Amino acid sequence: MTALRPLVTLIARVMALLGGLVLVALVILTCLSVIGRGLVTLGHSDVLTGAAPGLAGWLNGTGVGPIPGDFELVEAGVAFAIFAFLPICQLRSGHATVDIFTNLMPGGIARTLVVFWEIVLALTLVLIAWRLYEGFSDKLRNGQTTFLLQFPVWWAYGASLIAASAAALVGVWCAAARAAETVTGRPIMPPPGEADH
Amino acid sequence: QEYTLRLHQFLPAQANVPVQVLDVWADTIEEESGGRIEIQRYPAMQLGGTPPELYDQAVDGVADIVWTLPGYTPGRFPQTEVFELPFMMTDAEATSRAYWQLAEEQDWFSSIFSDVHVLGLWVHGPGVIHSGEPVTTPEDLAGVKLRAPTRVTNQLFTNLGATTVGMPVPAIPESLSKGVIDATVIPWEVTPSIRLTELVTNHTEFEADPLYTATFVLAMNQAAYDNLPEDLQQVIDDNSGLEFSAMAGATMQEYDAPGREIAVEAGNNIITLTEEQIEPWRAAADQTIENWVAEMDGQGLDGTALLDRARALIEENTSE
Amino acid sequence: MSNLEIGFWSFPVLLGMIFLRAPIGLAMFLCGIGGLWLATGSDSMFLAKLKSESYSTFSSYSLSIIPMFLLMGQFATLSGMSQALFRAAESFLGHRRGGVAMAAVGACAGFGAICGSSLATAATMSRVALPEMRRYGYSGGFSTATLAAGGTLGILIPPSVILVIYAILTEQNIAKLFLAAFIPGLLAALGYMITISLYVRRHPDAAGTRPPVPMAERMRALADVWPVLLVFGLVVGGIYLGWFTPTEGAAVGAAGTGLLALASGNLTWALFKQSVISTAIATAMIFFIILGAALYNSFLALSQVPQELSAWVVGQGFSPWLVLTLILAFYLVFGCLMDSLSMILLTIPIFFPVVTQLDFGLSAEGFAIWFGILVLIVVEVGLITPPVGMNLFIINAMDRDTPMLATYRAVMWFVGSDIARVVLLVLFPSITLFLL
Ligand code: NA
Ligand code: NA
Repeated sequence: MTALRPLVTLIARVMALLGGLVLVALVILTCLSVIGRGLVTLGHSDVLTGAAPGLAGWLNGTGVGPIPGDFELVEAGVAFAIFAFLPICQLRSGHATVDIFTNLMPGGIARTLVVFWEIVLALTLVLIAWRLYEGFSDKLRNGQTTFLLQFPVWWAYGASLIAASAAALVGVWCAAARAAETVTGRPIMPPPGEADH
Repeated sequence: QEYTLRLHQFLPAQANVPVQVLDVWADTIEEESGGRIEIQRYPAMQLGGTPPELYDQAVDGVADIVWTLPGYTPGRFPQTEVFELPFMMTDAEATSRAYWQLAEEQDWFSSIFSDVHVLGLWVHGPGVIHSGEPVTTPEDLAGVKLRAPTRVTNQLFTNLGATTVGMPVPAIPESLSKGVIDATVIPWEVTPSIRLTELVTNHTEFEADPLYTATFVLAMNQAAYDNLPEDLQQVIDDNSGLEFSAMAGATMQEYDAPGREIAVEAGNNIITLTEEQIEPWRAAADQTIENWVAEMDGQGLDGTALLDRARALIEENTSE
Repeated sequence: MSNLEIGFWSFPVLLGMIFLRAPIGLAMFLCGIGGLWLATGSDSMFLAKLKSESYSTFSSYSLSIIPMFLLMGQFATLSGMSQALFRAAESFLGHRRGGVAMAAVGACAGFGAICGSSLATAATMSRVALPEMRRYGYSGGFSTATLAAGGTLGILIPPSVILVIYAILTEQNIAKLFLAAFIPGLLAALGYMITISLYVRRHPDAAGTRPPVPMAERMRALADVWPVLLVFGLVVGGIYLGWFTPTEGAAVGAAGTGLLALASGNLTWALFKQSVISTAIATAMIFFIILGAALYNSFLALSQVPQELSAWVVGQGFSPWLVLTLILAFYLVFGCLMDSLSMILLTIPIFFPVVTQLDFGLSAEGFAIWFGILVLIVVEVGLITPPVGMNLFIINAMDRDTPMLATYRAVMWFVGSDIARVVLLVLFPSITLFLL
C-alpha cells in the first residue's frame, strides 16, 4: 500500500496541474475573446467611425474579433479540468461531510464509517468512469460534433475519460489505504487539507 | 393503466408546443388506448440532462418519448439540415409535410433515425431575429452576439457577420439577461414562453420570404414501442406520421400571431423587411447553401440532389 | 412500493447517510441512482443516464464561473491582495464590533448578484474572506455562518437568474419582479447587519475589535489596495454594464489577479502549483455535490413527490393563509435537499395556477409578484437552515478547523432574521409591492 503512495500522489498532482493549466488556458482564451469583441464593437461604434473612419476601417479590416467557438472550448475544457481535479480531492479527503454525530461516537465506529464511505466512494468513481466510457463509445460511433467549431464531441469525452479513470484509480487506492490504516493502525493516507510538501 | 410512458422535453409546461401539440397528442393516445397507456409529462428537462442529450435519452430509454431538435446534435442528422438552409421554407405546414415525405422517400427511419421509433417530424414557422439593437441589413449584425439553434443556422449567421453562439432555447432568457448574447433567432410562437419581448425590443421579420426554420423530431424509445401489444401500437401509429407532423407544424405557425401580438402591444419595434430589403440577405446567404452542398457531397450524401428534392417537395405541398 | 413512497423514503435515507458522515455529494448520488433503480424497476435507466450525466454537469458554461473565481480568489490570497483588502476594510470598520463581518456580507451580496449561484458565491467568498475574518479574531462558526448567509442575498439582486425563471413560469413581467425584489433585498441586508451587531453583543469574543485607526493610516491602507480594487471594480462593473458575461468576468478577474500576483513577484511556480491544488480540491468538492444533486433531483421529479405534495397542499380546501404558510414551509424543507432552480421548475407550475385562485385581497399581478418574492426568499433560506443546507456544507468544508456544530449554532441567528423578514413580508404585501 505504502509503496504505491508516491505513484498515486504523483498521478493526483499531475492531473490537478493539468486541469489547472487547462483552466488557465481557458481564462486566457476568454480574456482574448472579450478583448476581440471589444475591438469589433469599437470598430463599428459611432464614435470611432465618425472621428477616425480610416482607423475604424483598418480595425475592421484586420479581422480581429472574439475567438470563434470560445463557448464550446470553455465547456469542453472545464469538464476535463473538473474530472482532473477529482483525484487530488480524493487523496486529500476534500469532500464535504457532516461530522456532528460521528464526533459523538466511539472512535472505532467513526473510523469504520470513514473506511466504509471511502470504499463506496471508490466504487462510485469506478461507476462514473465506466459509464463515461460508454458515453464516449456512443459519441465515437455516432459522429456528433459541436455547433461552431464542429470538433467531434468524443474528443472532449475522451479527455474527460482519462481524467475520470485517474480519479477512479486514486479512489480505489485511497479506499485500500484507509482500510489498511484501520487494520494496521499506521497512517498511510496524507493528512486531509491542503498542506503541501 | 398498463403502460406508463415518460415524455421528456425542454420547454416549460405552459408553452405552446407542450400545450397545443404534445399534450393534445398524449391525451388522444391515453383516451384511444382506453386508459391502458398513461403518458407522464416531464417538461423543462425535469428528468435531468441538457436538451442536446434528449435524443440519446430516447435511444437509451432514460425517457420513452422525447421532443427535440435533430440540430441539437450536429453531425448526426446532416440530411435534416436541408430544411434549415436559408430561404428554404415557405410555411410550416408545407415544409413539415415535405420533411416527413423526404424522410420516407430516403428511408431515414432505417438509417439516421434507426435507433428510435419516429412519431413526428416538423418545422416551426418563419424564423425571426430578436435583438437589442434594430437589425435591417446583414451589416447590422456585425459584432452582435447572436444565438442560433443549430449547426446550419449558426453557419448562416456567422456568414452574415454575427458572432454566433449555439445554445438550446431554455438557455436564452438567462443568456440575454446576463449579456452572454444580445440577439437570438426564434419564431414568434416561442417568444411568450420565454418572455422574450421583455428582454429585447427589436424584431426583424422576413415575411415575404422566411429566412430560416429549424427541424424537430418527436421520437420514441424503440423497445418501449416494441413492448406495446399490437392494438396499442396501432393507437400510436394512428396518431403519428405525415398528418400529425403537418398538424404540428401548422399549429406552431398558427401560434406565431399571438406571440407577435404581445410584442405589438408592448410597443416593441417590429421591422418587416420588404422584398428589396431581403435581397442583400439572400445574396449573403447563398454562401451558406453552397458550403452545405459541398459538405454533403464530401460526405457522399449528394447535397445537390437532397436540396433539389427538398425544394420540389416543399413547392408541391405549398402550391396545393 | 409506489414511486411516491420511494420518493418519501429517500429523505430519511439521505439524512441518515449524511449524518453517518457520508460525503454529501456521494449521499445524494447514491439516493439518486438507488431511487431511479427502485422507481423504474431496472438498472438500465440510471446506467444510461450516467453515460452523459457527469460530463454534461461538469461541462456547463455558466458553472465554469466556479473554478475561475476560485482561482482568482487563490491568486488574490497568495499575492497578498485579499489581506490588503481586508486590512483596508478593517482600518475603516475594525473599531466597530462586527464591522468586518458586515463588510463581508456586503461583498457576498454584490458577488452573489452577479454570479447568480448561491453555492458559487459561498465558495468563492469563503476562499477570500474566511482566512481574513479568522485573522481578525472572528470565531470560526460566526465567520462561516456570516458567509453562508451572505451568499443567499444575491438571489434578490438583479440580474437574478431565478427571478427570470420564475417570471417565465408564471408569465410575469421580469422588470417588475426585479423592482419588487429591491426592498426585500435591502431588508435582508439590513436584517443581517442587525443580526451581526446583536450576535457580537451577545458573544463579544466572537469578533475582534480595537481602537479606531487615524485617517492617514486608513488612506495608506486604501492606497495599498488600489490595484485589487481596480480588478474587482472591473469585474463587477463590467458585468453590470454588460461588457462581459459573468463567466467572462470571472476569467478577467482571474487573469487580472494572476497578473498582479506575477507583478508583485509572489507568484512563483511553487505557489502557482499550490494555488492550482487548492482550487482543484474546492472545485472537485463542489462539483461532486452538484452532480449528486442533479441525479437526486431527477429521481425526485420521476418519483412525483414534489408534484404530488404540492397538489395535496392545494387540494385540501384550507384557508388561503394556511395554504400559503404550508407552501412556504414546504419550500423551506425542500430547500434543504434540492437545488433552488430545480425546485422552482418542478413545483411552481403546480402551485401557481391554484394559489392564484386564493383571495389575499391583491390584484392578480400583485399576488404573483409577492408570492414569487416570498418563495424565492424561502428557497434560499433552506440553503442555510441546519441540519441540511448546501451553503453550510460547502463553507464548512472550506474551513477544516471549524466544527459543523459551531456553524449550525451561529447560523441560527441569521435564520432567525430571515424568518422575521418573511413574516414581515407575508403580513404586509405592500412592502414588496410598494415600488411597482
Ligand atoms: Na436547510
Ligand atoms: Na469544517
